[in-house]
Amino acid sequence: MFLSARNSDIMPVAPNMRTKGMSLVEAPIDKPLRIIDIAGGESVRRRLLAIGFHKGDVVELDSVAILKGPILIRSAACGTRVALGRGIARKITVEVLDGRS
Amino acid sequence: MAAPDAPTVIFIGQPNCGKSTLFNSIAGLKAETSNFPGTTVKHTHSRVSIEGRLLDIIDLPGTYSLCPSDPAEKTALSHLFSEKPDLIINVVDASVLGRSLEFTLELIELGWPMVVALNMMDLAEKKGVRIDPEKLASHLGVPIIPVIASRGRGVKELLDEAFKTLEHAGRPGARTWSGDVESRIEELAGLIPPEFPIVANRRFTAVKMIEADRLFCDVMLGELEPDLKAEVDRVRLGIESGRSAPAYEIISAERHHQALKIAEESSRVEHGRKVPWDRKVDGIIMHPFYGYVILAAVFMAFFFLIFKIGNPLETLLLKPFMSLDQDLGRHLGSNVFFHLADGLVQGIGGGIAIVLPYFVPLLVFMAFLEDLGYLARAGFLLDVFMHHIGLHGKSVGPFILGFGCNVPAIVSTRILESRRDRIITSLLIPFIPCSARTTVILALVAFYLGPWAALGFYVLNILLVAVLGRVITLFTKAPSPGLILEIPTLKRPSFRNILKKTYFQLRSFLAFAWPLLIAGSVFLSLLQAFHVDRTINAVLSPLVAGALGLPRELGVTLVFGFLRKELSLIMMLQALGTSYRDLLTVITKEQLLVFTVFVSFFIPCLSTFAMLWKEMGKKIAFLSAALSVSVAVLLAWIIRIVA
Repeated sequence: MFLSARNSDIMPVAPNMRTKGMSLVEAPIDKPLRIIDIAGGESVRRRLLAIGFHKGDVVELDSVAILKGPILIRSAACGTRVALGRGIARKITVEVLDGRS
Repeated sequence: MAAPDAPTVIFIGQPNCGKSTLFNSIAGLKAETSNFPGTTVKHTHSRVSIEGRLLDIIDLPGTYSLCPSDPAEKTALSHLFSEKPDLIINVVDASVLGRSLEFTLELIELGWPMVVALNMMDLAEKKGVRIDPEKLASHLGVPIIPVIASRGRGVKELLDEAFKTLEHAGRPGARTWSGDVESRIEELAGLIPPEFPIVANRRFTAVKMIEADRLFCDVMLGELEPDLKAEVDRVRLGIESGRSAPAYEIISAERHHQALKIAEESSRVEHGRKVPWDRKVDGIIMHPFYGYVILAAVFMAFFFLIFKIGNPLETLLLKPFMSLDQDLGRHLGSNVFFHLADGLVQGIGGGIAIVLPYFVPLLVFMAFLEDLGYLARAGFLLDVFMHHIGLHGKSVGPFILGFGCNVPAIVSTRILESRRDRIITSLLIPFIPCSARTTVILALVAFYLGPWAALGFYVLNILLVAVLGRVITLFTKAPSPGLILEIPTLKRPSFRNILKKTYFQLRSFLAFAWPLLIAGSVFLSLLQAFHVDRTINAVLSPLVAGALGLPRELGVTLVFGFLRKELSLIMMLQALGTSYRDLLTVITKEQLLVFTVFVSFFIPCLSTFAMLWKEMGKKIAFLSAALSVSVAVLLAWIIRIVA
């Protein structure tokens, strides 16, 4: 069934696709990124899930506000855009997906 | 409340999916709409007759899921479950289909009759996404009706389908999840004791028990049903074993992947990787430099538009009333009838000539910004500065709404997740110059002291909010949890929407405040005729004349200022027995400034106070009033000393 296959997305991805993880605030702009971990409190995690951001999802960093302001990310799958405060963004670990555009 | 023969239909959807716009086109002008997540924070009830058939329709606040995380979402859910609707109309934003379907899948789990209104089809097509409603319907097992709520398209088809579904009462079935998750949920569903209150159905109840917030629901379940609680924990562990995530996240991921897959299979992406226009525009609007330039320009435009349109209009509209008043004085002399007529003319004229020229442009501009989706963007840009006053970008929306009217702004703080943020934001909102106070500022300060003085007043006002925020946060320990704010797609503001919204707010002004204004003006006039106002003035004299150095006749206007701020202005002319043109012959410019400052801040107006009480409790309402009085006295003193 397709579901059990897709569920592997929740767990760490295959080693050959893997680069070093980094926090969302350090990630490059306009490159596809895969969320590999969301740390932080339960309420923040739940909020992110509800708004459509899960582990394994591909997102892009749209822009970063000045003076340690929030960042803007866009979900590649459904096009939703969300502004995240630095504190929350720091707790999201992503990896750059190379070879895809 | 509802007669038994009218079926209840609930409108539910994620924030900013156009639910209220759709609801409005069916129910008329009831819910306020905008392009800011979470505008409908109260539910709206409406009974409508469609081709002779009655329906009770309810518009609920937007919610991302059936696990609430802010007070507005909690309202939505408690109504969903207490109303036991005959039909759910799930409004879905087609332009973010994958995300929206997650919630649709969760609603389907309820197993209640349901129709999906696929809204914003035009926006999706602009993004190059073509959705096949039939394919989508076959995947989901519920009827899908494409609509464009902003232009009223598809509304009739939606209602036809709603009636059809109500008659046949088809119940959708939940989709099953991957093997072991599904079997574990079934196992738990079977273990729920017969006397346990089942919500919707056994599977749904079991899923919600697993997903439940560990803090609240879990503790309660542990107290009431310790055996069942143990089973829930066992099933949770079972689901979590072999996956590095908590059970609620695994269930959420099941829906997430199903939703994305369904969205992918029932839509086609058309033009390739062309950057859509709205992303280009957004690149500028939210640019680290140009974004702030635009933001500043928006505020300047806000100010000067009102000044350039409002001021000439005001002068024009005031003329006939002033000459009428002089005629009355000549013909009637100074008896009771003159005072009666004078009060009437001042009240009606004040409403038309002073309030409307400023109020209407302000409302239109505000509606335009909201419809465009600018509020969320301003939230993104101002997040950094909000952190300095102990809040974050999500409070920007309520603040900006506060420039229109403080009352809906206080209600809109329900979109804030933490109570701490809500309290601070609600305490600060009464210091935001609402349109009524802007009227006072523009009419008095700008008219007599020039536009730059008025602008300066505005800037100082915003600084004051910042300083107060800083001071208030000194008393709260816990830091703010941080910003998570959806940025809605930029929309071309719909003229119809803006007009509707302006009309809606104007109507409540005409129906509520204007009569009050006229009555107040007549009342004050009569008080003068019978010299009762002297008693009130004498009582307030230590404050007005002593502390503030104002003519003691102004004491009585403060009483009216509590009802509505712009009343003070109209009452001031009335109380001083002068006309708008000759005001400065009676009081000095410094006194005028002191009066404006004091009236602006001395107390939240009656409606704001009542709303604070209702939303945040008695303590916060009185705290806010005490804060306002102290700040007003302090500022008025400072001005008196400096000027």
